[in-house]
Amino acid sequence: MKKAFIAFLLIAGSLLLNQQTQAQGFLKKLKDKASKVVDKAIDKKVEDKTGIPSTSGDSQNSGSNGNGPSSSRNGKPTNRTGEGLKNSTPPDVNAQIADAEKAHAEGNFSDARYSIQQALLGVEIQIGQNILKSLPATVNGLTKDSAENRVVSTQWGWSNLTIQSVYKKGEDQQLAVAIGNNTFYSGLINVYFNNTYVQGNGEQQNVKQVKIKGYKALIQFDDSKGYTLLVPLGQTSLITYECINFANEQEVMNAATSFDIDGIKKMLGEQ
Amino acid sequence: MKHTIILAAAIFFVQVTFAQQDFKSYTATAKSAYAAGKLEDAHFALQQMLQEEEITIGKEVIKLLPPKMDSLQADIKQDHVTGNISFVGATIHRTYNTATRRAELDIINNSPLLGSLNAFLTTPMLGGLLNDGKTKTVKVQGYKARLEKEEGAEGALPSYKLEIPFNSSLVTFRIEKTSETEILTLANTIPLPQIAKLIQ
Repeated sequence: MKKAFIAFLLIAGSLLLNQQTQAQGFLKKLKDKASKVVDKAIDKKVEDKTGIPSTSGDSQNSGSNGNGPSSSRNGKPTNRTGEGLKNSTPPDVNAQIADAEKAHAEGNFSDARYSIQQALLGVEIQIGQNILKSLPATVNGLTKDSAENRVVSTQWGWSNLTIQSVYKKGEDQQLAVAIGNNTFYSGLINVYFNNTYVQGNGEQQNVKQVKIKGYKALIQFDDSKGYTLLVPLGQTSLITYECINFANEQEVMNAATSFDIDGIKKMLGEQ
Repeated sequence: MKHTIILAAAIFFVQVTFAQQDFKSYTATAKSAYAAGKLEDAHFALQQMLQEEEITIGKEVIKLLPPKMDSLQADIKQDHVTGNISFVGATIHRTYNTATRRAELDIINNSPLLGSLNAFLTTPMLGGLLNDGKTKTVKVQGYKARLEKEEGAEGALPSYKLEIPFNSSLVTFRIEKTSETEILTLANTIPLPQIAKLIQ
């Protein structure tokens, strides 16, 4: 009897709560509707008075259709055209070396240094383009997206030369390869290799050491990023494979082995 | 005395000639390697050229520095210039000293410390909030700089450190047992505009 009474109380309580939340939902909807109507009425009044069309509510969309005014509410125009920047042509190495020699002979050391840096940039971009050309056209059914090929060289800071290529299959699967020298990470990776405890911490591991074509490498898994494989080359270079939506470790390894790692290493001038 | 001067001049001349020869030989290597399509060799030779150039610039900067600052005499034996690639550029060092105290001037091109220093100098919030009462922003020959006080041993005068950033270079000037007024006066004797022109 007592149990039945408790059950009755519980049911009654939950019904009451439910009703309350429903009532709250209804009240909120009513409030939103009312504020919309009030907003519209105010906008109309303002429009009538000032003659400037209002941009709130439904009229907000008219601007993005392409027919509406191209300036936003604050009067600043919105950009609609422009094809972006064109790829700059790499500096002419021979001309830059000649400039450097001339500036050095004249005692303009700062100019000479600038020309040498430009020549270095030119050579690095050529090395990068050669490496890009040497990459396979397809990897495990993923095709190279040539629009994503990039060679970036900076004579400043942590990384000198970075070469990037992206392979895709459908909308979902992607392999991004980045090859770089003087990378900031390569030092950190060597720290990993010198500490064997990374391998066996008892938990489900998300980092481990592997070998690809004889090179020591590090494979990582992250739920949101997928697999990342890092292969250090020689003293300062590193290949990074970022594999999104790959089924397992083996698939990643197969993809990585289709690259000519020895060739890349040689082109980067690593021993 | 005359002999010493001749000897010093001869050593200087030989050093300059060696540096010139190095530059020329690296240039020749870079050209021939590039013509032969050996990009990596050309790259390395160009890096050597760059290093040589950084050292030449450093030596030019050393020539601009005053031989003495008030009572502090330059210790030329401790002058050094190094050329590096990619991480930090050239580093130039000079020491000034008397029997009891010393001052050090360092110029680092492409210094990794520049980012945080510039943030300190250009963001009033940072300069204000992180100020522990030992640092302040000053101006030296029109350049913004950070002056930092370092407490010395008990009873001794403090040391001061002045950091002046140029575009991609950092000039650090540190004097032991000094005062704020003295370090700023001495810093004004360093030809900063000429140095900036050379190292940028």
